[in-house]
Amino acid sequence: MGKIAVIEEIMGEREVKQYFETWLETIIRSRIPITAIFLKAVTSLHGSDEQEHHVQDHVTFFLQSKIRKTDLLFQLSDGNHWGIFFLQNSAVEAKAFLNRIFSILKEEQSHPIELKASITEIRNNDVTFEALINKNKQRLADHEQSSWTIEEIADYRMQPIEIVKVSIIEHNEIFRQVLEITLNQLDLPHFTFDITTYEDGYSFLEMDHYKTGQLHLILMNDILPRKNGFEILHNLRKMPNAKKFIIYMMSERNYEGAMLNAYEGGVDEYIVKPFNLRLLEAKIKRTFARFWL
Amino acid sequence: MIHLSVSFLAIVIVALLAILGLFTVYLFIQREREASFNKNRKSYLQRSTQLWNVYLFEEGLFSVRLVPRSRADVEAIEIIFLSYLKNIASPAIRLEIKNFSNRYLKEFYKKDLASKRWSTRMNALYRIADFGMDELLDTCRSIEHKKISKEERFQLLKIYSLFQPDLFTEKLKQLQDGYSESEYRRLLVLLDDDLFIRFFDAFQDWSLNIQFALIDTAAVRRNAPYVDKLKHLLSHNNAEIRIRALKGIYEIGIIDEIEIYLPFVSSDVWEERLMAAKIFKHAPLANMYTYLEQLLQDENWWVRSQAAETIAEARQGGERLQQFIQYADDEYAVDMAKETLMRKQESR
Repeated sequence: MGKIAVIEEIMGEREVKQYFETWLETIIRSRIPITAIFLKAVTSLHGSDEQEHHVQDHVTFFLQSKIRKTDLLFQLSDGNHWGIFFLQNSAVEAKAFLNRIFSILKEEQSHPIELKASITEIRNNDVTFEALINKNKQRLADHEQSSWTIEEIADYRMQPIEIVKVSIIEHNEIFRQVLEITLNQLDLPHFTFDITTYEDGYSFLEMDHYKTGQLHLILMNDILPRKNGFEILHNLRKMPNAKKFIIYMMSERNYEGAMLNAYEGGVDEYIVKPFNLRLLEAKIKRTFARFWL
Repeated sequence: MIHLSVSFLAIVIVALLAILGLFTVYLFIQREREASFNKNRKSYLQRSTQLWNVYLFEEGLFSVRLVPRSRADVEAIEIIFLSYLKNIASPAIRLEIKNFSNRYLKEFYKKDLASKRWSTRMNALYRIADFGMDELLDTCRSIEHKKISKEERFQLLKIYSLFQPDLFTEKLKQLQDGYSESEYRRLLVLLDDDLFIRFFDAFQDWSLNIQFALIDTAAVRRNAPYVDKLKHLLSHNNAEIRIRALKGIYEIGIIDEIEIYLPFVSSDVWEERLMAAKIFKHAPLANMYTYLEQLLQDENWWVRSQAAETIAEARQGGERLQQFIQYADDEYAVDMAKETLMRKQESR
């Protein structure tokens, strides 16, 4: 009874497709990939229909007992393929999962089942549900493949390039140019910078450049003519979508009070002048490396 | 009554007008010269800033257009170099600036050092230190024998500290009481670590002002090796030196053996008790609580306040203060504990 109840809960292709299409749209926005695993039973499906159903139920029950609440298990209409969507996980975690369940199955004596699998990490939305299934089915169709094989499909791994707005607010014109050169030379995977420079806080706030939903890196001095860095900081941090701003504050003040004040006000990085430009580059690279899993 | 002839008056007026005219012409020429100077400086900045940026930050080639042809060009280069030095920490750029200055700016500053104008000489001395122009060291030494101001002599000391540390040490020994504590601090902060440690090793040989400056500079530089040097000063017979050493250790924030600070809990000098309460911030509250409770009941308000703050900032410090309020008899200490707790809750 228990087994039947479990099997009844598992989704089919058609139901999962709707979920998949919704998740696909969130990949770029949330910068979190989805990973799909497809499994195929290699042996024991050549007996009677009853035997086949028994093995399918056993695989389904086993997989259902191993997935987490955030993962989605489904069975393809042909009956001998299973799919699992791992939300918020990359291929690395999916592979570790497969190795774990394969080693359990290899040791199981009562119901010997042999599986093979394919992993597809999806980092863009240029894929349809049908294409995903067909590609994985084709990859697993090779009869020469041995049991416990793990194939990887890399067709949807390419992340889209995201344009990030960058505002450099620095009074010293020469240093402003240096910062612009440095950021223009910075090679960030999957991101490209759209740089604008300002010589004072007022001219930055007057422009509507920062009033969009786009990710926005602000590199500013604490002391600026007309409106200083702290006024800009307070303005940006009280905006409804304040989290899109990554704020780096540069300052000549190298004491804890000033740093605490800046961090409590909402800066993401406080850099004491004079600083090494390589250090600035490294900090920016780390900041953007955190955006994609 | 004074009688003045019309012709005399006319001569006076014409003479005055002539002087006024000459003065106006002089002002006009000066203004034109200044405008032309500013124009040339701006022109260098416009045509060369980008070249400098490409040369230094994009591994571009050195262009002869960067070499200064006039005093206005030198001023523009000063603006560019100071922008780099003030904002960017890079040994490679510092070296480029030094080499360029030694090669192309040396003659300009050499001439400035011989100027009769104090401001011109001072500017040259500042730039020699800023740009690391060690090739002008001999010229600097030669002007020392002339009649120069105290500020220039101070700037010369700064130059010696950068280019010839032994000469700097020798000159400082001769000038033990010549400058204020803050001026000595400005000199000592520039020294490299080895020389600074050498200064510390000869601590007793220096005047009180230099000794104070040494301790304060060690705290600002925040290097771990200085903690041992400061710890040695905790047994000094001068209370001010002991207090400053405690403050320095607190600011560096490395407390490896707490036992040496325990005698200060019962010191006769309240500033030492205050510093002990501060230093205990860097140790686990469980180990320090007994001493902090003693300091919380100190006769001095500042000590009580600091002890309460140190307890409150620790994890479970609030609970300790609550318990203290329940059982303590000292009403001043209880008030302080309540006040600190209230402040802590408000700041959340």
